[in-house]
Amino acid sequence: MLKTLLYIEEDLASSIALRFTGYLNKFIPLSLFVIHVEEPDAKDHVGGGLVQKAWEEGVSASGRRAVDRMLRTENIDCPLAGRPKIFVGNRTEEIIYELRSGTYQLHIEGYLDTADPEQFWAMLSSPLYTQAPCPILVVKNLSISKKCALLCADSVDPRKLVEKSMEVLGESTFGFDIVYFKFREQEELQLLDREEGGSNLRDCVALLGEHGKKADNMTVVSGTPEQVGDYLKDYALVASTLPGRKSMRMFTLANSLASVLLVH
Amino acid sequence: MKILVTLDTKQYSQKIIKDVARLAGNTLADVVFLGVQEDGKKPAGTLSAALLKYHRDLCGYFGADESPYLEIEDENWQKDGADWSLSSRGLKEFRLLIRTGSVAQQTLAVAGEVGSDLVILGCSRKFGCEWDGEMNVPLRIARDAPCSVLVIKEVKKAGQIISILDQSKVSQDALELVNQLVTLHDAGLKIVGVKEKRSRKADKIEKKMVELLKYYNEREISAWIKLINADDVQDYVTASSKEGIVALWMGGKESLIKKLFSRSMVDRLLETTRSALLILR
Repeated sequence: MLKTLLYIEEDLASSIALRFTGYLNKFIPLSLFVIHVEEPDAKDHVGGGLVQKAWEEGVSASGRRAVDRMLRTENIDCPLAGRPKIFVGNRTEEIIYELRSGTYQLHIEGYLDTADPEQFWAMLSSPLYTQAPCPILVVKNLSISKKCALLCADSVDPRKLVEKSMEVLGESTFGFDIVYFKFREQEELQLLDREEGGSNLRDCVALLGEHGKKADNMTVVSGTPEQVGDYLKDYALVASTLPGRKSMRMFTLANSLASVLLVH
Repeated sequence: MKILVTLDTKQYSQKIIKDVARLAGNTLADVVFLGVQEDGKKPAGTLSAALLKYHRDLCGYFGADESPYLEIEDENWQKDGADWSLSSRGLKEFRLLIRTGSVAQQTLAVAGEVGSDLVILGCSRKFGCEWDGEMNVPLRIARDAPCSVLVIKEVKKAGQIISILDQSKVSQDALELVNQLVTLHDAGLKIVGVKEKRSRKADKIEKKMVELLKYYNEREISAWIKLINADDVQDYVTASSKEGIVALWMGGKESLIKKLFSRSMVDRLLETTRSALLILR
């Protein structure tokens, strides 16, 4: 069982994330925990000592009710391994603390806005993503696909991509494709010869084999981030190493309609 | 459901009959085939023969016991006011109608008179999207019809249906039409929400998108949501029309798309689309 922490707000992104998690559980048995953080404004803080404690309990109870409502509404086919964890404080700090102290193997959260790559980059470069002790799955859409893609490119370390992805997906019943991305400004997406993927693609295939997995397809796609992002839509999720800069691969992930598993 | 199909004797009309048959059969719709001639005191021979042939062709797509439509036995056109008509009544009604006047004007008139839910017409790829040498027939019908309009330029499988959504109301009939197109083409469905910057209505659009995503996901239909800014919508839609069938929701006074899409934009879409354009109302 993959120990997983799912972040929930009472919003649409979480609604999709919850449903997708239920779907994911069909392929990877999850030991699922849910977390929610109430982030009060600075002006909301009152007094200290007992007053502070009573206020925090009130805020926390309100968060718990919101999470309960979400869980009841979505009623996903994946039992929780424990009571929802409700915290009051800084969202990033509380999640990172919980991920570290609970030795989780995967963190999941929903992300709805695909309009703005800058917003996606702001999220990827935030402390939660750069400091998380485990991979993070960004749920962008629901899916009925039974396949995952490993997104490879010149700048990707194949070992990190495959080994870290397999820590999450290794025991799953998903099928795997390797998609090698080459940036080129052109009218339409092109599928190139496999040789164009070079040693990185060959390494990915070999490393996948070491984990007892076989890539069903190895595709070298050449196009813009928008075109490749759209091409990836037929996968349940796309695994990628966390981009460290605003690269074309980052823009591709921002444009991906499929959910994105970020490993580092 | 009532489907009005405007037809003439050209190949682009002939080619759409199979799609019409499948749509009509799946939705159990009453069907009207409309032919329009410029003038004359009796139905033009070629047009009346073509409508009868299309009707027989459509009936031929159904198995002997499963057709909701009966073939027309008496082929003597009946004068009915300014129209000539023939009809049959099986499980569902089928009418052939010939009128005089302009194609666009009469299509719009008949759509209103019969309470049509969907108008379907074909068009030629020549000069973008043309009907019997005229460029503005599909455009006028798509723009001004009181109901949804499907303009089929080329009958081919579309890889995806790109449904552009704004804050206008989504009717159950329109949803059903999108379902039918997805089934017809065995395609995926991209639900694209258009949002205005700094608009409070963004939440409303997102909510609708997520509802639709769940609706289609529960039916095991591949669907994806994507948000785009209002500033990017024209370029996005034009590019999308090359990849698949664009479905534009243009209903209601609130429709942002209606405001954003000038007449020339719908014209451009009809020109760029490689398969079909669906205007949903």
